[in-house]
Amino acid sequence: MDKETTEILHEINDIFIDVLDDDSIVLTPETTSDDIEDWDSLTHIQLVVAIERHFKMKFTAQEIRSWSNVGEMVEAIINRSKLAI
Amino acid sequence: MIPFKEDDTFSAAFTLSQQVYDGFISTFGDINPLHTDASFARDKGFEGKVMQGNILNGFISYFIGMALPIRNVIILSQDILFRAPVYLGESLTLMAKVEDIHESVNVVTFKYDFTNKQNIKVAKGHFQIGIL
Repeated sequence: MDKETTEILHEINDIFIDVLDDDSIVLTPETTSDDIEDWDSLTHIQLVVAIERHFKMKFTAQEIRSWSNVGEMVEAIINRSKLAI
Repeated sequence: MIPFKEDDTFSAAFTLSQQVYDGFISTFGDINPLHTDASFARDKGFEGKVMQGNILNGFISYFIGMALPIRNVIILSQDILFRAPVYLGESLTLMAKVEDIHESVNVVTFKYDFTNKQNIKVAKGHFQIGIL
C-alpha cells in the first residue's frame, strides 16, 4: 500500500471504531461488511455520513453502491481528493 | 430526490399544556419533585415546577413526523442541550434549519432550537433524518 492509501485507511479505521463503537476493528483494503458484525444497512448510512463529513466530500448513491470493499472506498476518497485540487 | 436544500428553515409552535405534562407523567412516570412540587423547585432557585426536558424531545418527534413536508422519514439521531427551564403553560417555537445533506444515503441533518415568548433559547441541538 502506498502512503496515501495507508493514511486514509487509518483515518477510516478511526471512523469505523467511533461509529460502530468497536475498538477492535482493524480495516484492510479487502475488508467487507461481511467481516464486521455491526456493519449493516443502518450503520452503513452513519459510516458514509461520517466519512463525507471527515473528508469534506460528497459521493453519489451510485458511487457508494459500487464499493465492494474498504479498498474501493479508499480509492474513491483519493480520486475525489485529486479532483478537488 | 431529497426535498430539502441547505438553509431551508421550518418552524412549529408548541405549548407545554397541562395535558402534555399529565400525559408525559402518566406515560413515563417521572415525578421527580423538581417537576411536581412547586415549593421544592422554588427552593432550588426556579420559578415553579420545571417541566421534564424530554417533553421537548416529544415535540421534536412530532415535528419530524408531522410538521416537515414529508411523511417518508425516520429519525437516525438526535441531540439536545437544555439551556433554560420551561414552565407549565409556556409556549415554545421550534425552529429547524437544514445544516447538511448527504444525498448518497438520503440523510439530512437539521440544527434546531426552541425559544420561548421572551425569545430565550431554552434548548438547542441537532437531529438527523433519513428519507425512506
